[in-house]
Amino acid sequence: MLSTSPFDRKLQLSGILLILGLLVEALCLLGHGPIAFIVFAGLGGFLFVVGILLYLYSLVSARVEPSKQ
Amino acid sequence: MTAFLALFALPLLCFGMGASSELDHAKSTKFCLSCHIMEPYGKSLRVDDPQHLAAAHFQNHRVPPNEACYTCHTNYAMFGGIKAKLGGLRHIYVYYLGTPPAPENIKLYEPYNNRECLHCHAGARSFEEGAVHTADPDLLPALKANKTSCISSGCHGVVHDVASLKDAKFWKGSN
Repeated sequence: MLSTSPFDRKLQLSGILLILGLLVEALCLLGHGPIAFIVFAGLGGFLFVVGILLYLYSLVSARVEPSKQ
Repeated sequence: MTAFLALFALPLLCFGMGASSELDHAKSTKFCLSCHIMEPYGKSLRVDDPQHLAAAHFQNHRVPPNEACYTCHTNYAMFGGIKAKLGGLRHIYVYYLGTPPAPENIKLYEPYNNRECLHCHAGARSFEEGAVHTADPDLLPALKANKTSCISSGCHGVVHDVASLKDAKFWKGSN
């Protein structure tokens, strides 16, 4: 279940993408043909890049609540 | 800090290590010959005739047998390995989505550059002092400048003669 906080939700999505990326890459390392290479670089790389960019975006877009004092 | 490690550093590390392993594997002879269309080229490495350039290199370990294709067909210039792998992506595209030619009709994208031969042979006694190479004083400089091709000039012209494999005798040894 995804969190309702936008910051947490982005982090959770990022984590899910990265776990999927890791799974894809682990499966591809078991394969030996050119298709495994393509899926590794294409799909696995894509999931990693999107996951990492989403994590970085969640950091720069996080709103800091102003102090009450 | 934990989130940074889990969502940034660790994935990058995993991808880097995985990519390095995949690239190493993609250099193997087995990987190149895993496409059906390349099978005759794999067979041509076992032709029992020293005039066949690729076979002589493969059987005599002049190239590492487990990286035989990559050793000769990479580009020994800057980013050559990357160019070779991008060329490989093109092969996969043509193989799965295009119309692949018959094995005997496969051509190199550009003429074979002597630089790839000279990567190993330059400075070797058999190359620098070979009787044929030194018979004409202009030959060695022309070879080194890639003005005379080692292959298409006719001296080492039989490389992968896949069209005549059915009449060839094959070496049975293991490599």
